[in-house]
Amino acid sequence: MASVFSFQAVSDGIVMNFRESSTFGSIKKAVSLHAAEASDFFTGVNLYLNLSGLELAYEQLEELMEIVKNYNQVNKIYFTARKIKEEKSEDNYSDAVIINRTLRSGQRVKHQANIVIVGDVNPGAEVIAGGDIIVFGRLRGVVHAGAGGSKDSQVAALKLDPTQLRIASLIARSPDDSDSSKLQAERAYIEDDQIVVEKI
Amino acid sequence: MAGKTIVITSGKGGVGKTTSSANIGTALAMHGNKVCLIDADIGLRNLDVVMGLENRIVYDIVDVVENNCRLEQAMIRDKRYDGLYLLPAAQTRDKTSVTPFQMKELIEKLKEDMDYIVVDSPAGIEQGFKNAIAGADRAIIVTTPEISAVRDADRIIGLLEAEGLRDPEVIINRIRADMVERGDMMGIEDMIEILAIELIGIVPEDEGIVVSTNRGEPIALNDNAKAGQAYRNIARRIMGEDLPMMKLEKDSFISRFKKLVGLS
Repeated sequence: MASVFSFQAVSDGIVMNFRESSTFGSIKKAVSLHAAEASDFFTGVNLYLNLSGLELAYEQLEELMEIVKNYNQVNKIYFTARKIKEEKSEDNYSDAVIINRTLRSGQRVKHQANIVIVGDVNPGAEVIAGGDIIVFGRLRGVVHAGAGGSKDSQVAALKLDPTQLRIASLIARSPDDSDSSKLQAERAYIEDDQIVVEKI
Repeated sequence: MAGKTIVITSGKGGVGKTTSSANIGTALAMHGNKVCLIDADIGLRNLDVVMGLENRIVYDIVDVVENNCRLEQAMIRDKRYDGLYLLPAAQTRDKTSVTPFQMKELIEKLKEDMDYIVVDSPAGIEQGFKNAIAGADRAIIVTTPEISAVRDADRIIGLLEAEGLRDPEVIINRIRADMVERGDMMGIEDMIEILAIELIGIVPEDEGIVVSTNRGEPIALNDNAKAGQAYRNIARRIMGEDLPMMKLEKDSFISRFKKLVGLS
């Protein structure tokens, strides 16, 4: 389901790319689901719906417009068909999405590059990134950095207390007796095929 | 009159949604408000039992949306307060008998001559929950000091936000000061830290709740019960008063002794 569309951050907004030759039914389903679960995803930014590689009838386009109206406070919605060049293949400025709220139990954020969360990640929430995950808050849910297999990825948080922390194919969890409630920024990364945590 | 609709919800079952709904509704009516309680737990109705009005049910909410009766016919007037009504759930139907749209319409109609409409939500996050929050202006989440209940409450807050119901408030129910002090129970600060929403009341664990539920007399009617006081305070906070939170006292030997001899 998640692979029907993907997000790409551009300078003034977020592009929603659809997998080539997806059926309208699957697009409709995936976007409605996303709009219902993450209605604040595009708050304050422009949303570009990239229709490149799709053939939609006029009615279907109208229907899609109705669905994207369910996102709250989107700045502007554009339809586009341009081929957006893969910026990250040219240089190392990988893009990031910024989530300006607390992720609560049952909420899930997935992005192919980096994710920055300004808020807490509560137990029961999931964050999955192809790159790094930075949390300006308490990290208590499940995080997976380097989900595509990148072992250089890291996870940093003002309070690193995840239910489970995964980087690439390695899995770690917080020690069962960790109960210090004071904020201490920490970073987790891979060293010698092990997840290590250090204070920052 | 443009009434306010408050949904009482929790996600997890058994944390005291129905008890809270009954008591908040009763306490609001005590202050002279016109209140309608709606039981949205179709198929597992309980609010009528807790209110002691079970034997007066003729029509229910499903009859209203299916136009088998008028709204006023289904509303049961409380035996204690004239301004308090109950719209009972159907027991022989299920949650799909009502849609969120119908619920919204119903509440709009009720708002015309009520000050407060209190909707008792079923447990879970499926259609019953969606019905319950459909017409709500304000949400109160009930939780107990257990990790599972807090986790579910957090999930519910996320779902409410997605439905545009922002800034819900929380009631922490069944808290025991002695256990918190010993470190055997989550404290209020710990829970508020995770949920990051406004606290509207704390209700101490009280055996009297069991008695009052079985008798069909909300504990808010009992002047001596701590839990009753807590619910009356919550009602006043809903009405906009700024009251300090109740201080939790340990159930010490002396206070237990006092209780025994009827001093407190």
